[in-house]
Amino acid sequence: MQNSDGLTWAILIATLAMLMMAFFVILFIVFYQKRQLHQEKKLHEIEKDYQRLLLDTALNSEETERRRIAQDLHDDIGTMLSLTKLSLNQLSKLVADSGIKEDQIMRKSQALVEETILHVRRITRDLVPTTLERFGLAAAIEEFINKLDNSKDLKISLISNTEDSPRQSQKTELTIYRIMQELVNNSIRHSQCSMIEINLHVNSTIIELQVTDDGIGFEPDAIKDNNLTGLGLLGIESRLAIVDGTINYEKPKMGGSKALALVPVAPAIDSKPEPLHPFRRQRVKI
Amino acid sequence: MVLIESYITFIHNHLIVCLAVFVTIIPLFLILYRKANVDPSFYLLQIYLITKLIIDLIMFHYATQRTNNLMYYNLSIPLRYALLSGMFYYKIESAVYKRGIIYSIIGFVIFSIWDIFYSNPDIKDLHNHSMVAYATTVECLLLLFWILAYFYEIIRMLKIPNLLTFPFFWVCSGLLLYYSSFIFIAPILHYTEKWENPLYIGFLNLVPYIFETLCLLFFSIGVWIFSIRYYAKQ
Ligand SMILES: Nc1ncnc2c1ncn2[C@@H]1O[C@H](COP(=O)(O)OP(=O)(O)OP(=O)(O)O)[C@@H](O)[C@H]1O
Ligand SMILES: [Mg+2]
Repeated sequence: MQNSDGLTWAILIATLAMLMMAFFVILFIVFYQKRQLHQEKKLHEIEKDYQRLLLDTALNSEETERRRIAQDLHDDIGTMLSLTKLSLNQLSKLVADSGIKEDQIMRKSQALVEETILHVRRITRDLVPTTLERFGLAAAIEEFINKLDNSKDLKISLISNTEDSPRQSQKTELTIYRIMQELVNNSIRHSQCSMIEINLHVNSTIIELQVTDDGIGFEPDAIKDNNLTGLGLLGIESRLAIVDGTINYEKPKMGGSKALALVPVAPAIDSKPEPLHPFRRQRVKI
Repeated sequence: MVLIESYITFIHNHLIVCLAVFVTIIPLFLILYRKANVDPSFYLLQIYLITKLIIDLIMFHYATQRTNNLMYYNLSIPLRYALLSGMFYYKIESAVYKRGIIYSIIGFVIFSIWDIFYSNPDIKDLHNHSMVAYATTVECLLLLFWILAYFYEIIRMLKIPNLLTFPFFWVCSGLLLYYSSFIFIAPILHYTEKWENPLYIGFLNLVPYIFETLCLLFFSIGVWIFSIRYYAKQ
């Protein structure tokens, strides 16, 4: 039998070193992987935040642009139309006794100008939901319904409990209002319904908006897969993404369609209405 | 009766060695029980464990009879390498490594057979059959390489959310520990495992057996947490 203490020790030490290395490799892999994953997740979050910010900015600038157009329409075209009306009135006095034909043309022009003024006012008010800013969601939806009721032969009803709940932040209210607008418009346009019911329910944590119609209904999944979605449903999703809301479409058994949007409440900090034109405020002050 | 008595004495005298043999049953049972063999890698592991158990039991029997059993060990080396590196073939994604594994299996089988003849000039003399000289060391190196390559791929691809619940990570860790402990002992086994004039290295001889047991326990953990539903998509 050979005996070799030296060799035994050398191998023992080498083996220990090797084992230590193996052990550290395992530890390293576990921790490195964990850290790397963590970092990737963080990066992902930052990206998501950035996307949301981008969307927010886009929608904000859209609203700002609407305000600007509304303001311009109101200030420039509106003023000019008022002046035109004034001039026409003066002219009508002059041509009053000229003849029947002139009088007829005169009246027609006056009526047209009147109507144009009304249209411009309506467009301005549609562009900027002033009622929403001043009196809140329920009032704005009510107004929206009234406008439609006049023009269409269908029954739209609103059930809401917002009277005694506080006003929501401007962004949240506008989001809900625009979503309601799109849902009702869709129902009118696509579903051939005779009845639309809007439910607005606010509790301490969440705002529920439910729009139900009794029309032909649609398969929400099929539409999402089919690329049938227009800008409407996509717009709803992107608006909701900003306020952390969700939307859920259903096809009830009795027919028709049902959309339920949930948005977390965000009470308004300062309910003072914004100036119509954000850039003009300064000009007024000077 | 005599046979059983000799078995018991052998177990009594070589407890650690025998532990490495009988612990094989645990992961094998778990693989069958948890149906882990639906995964190709675990299927290979199952085959490996079965062959290991059979060969170990044969060697155990001959050891109790004080007969040279090294021939079986030598034969198990190419088989072991083929099955274990085959597991990595199914786990590693890089095509280059995959091809490398196939070639290495072919090359290694040829090499280890050559080594058996080289280490035993008189192949008919089974009594003085001795352990291969280089094949075990080469096997250690190759497998360590595949393990590290696989680890590198894991941290590069970041596909596994939690390594500690990833079954194959435990299998790899077990193998890494086992082969790390074995790599410096493997080259001298050729000189220690001999009938005549062996080299004496004391308890170092037992180190591979200890880590083999540990490795088998790691396999068991890996198989235990194997669950088809939670298996990270590959
Ligand atoms: N209430 C509904 N009843 C029946 N079908 C509907 C209803 N709402 C939506 N749809 C279907 O879903 C499709 C997608 O609606 P979406 O609002 O995204 O687009 P759109 O109304 O066609 O176009 P856009 O809103 O961009 O002007 C519609 O084309 C319509 O077929
Ligand atoms: Mg639409």
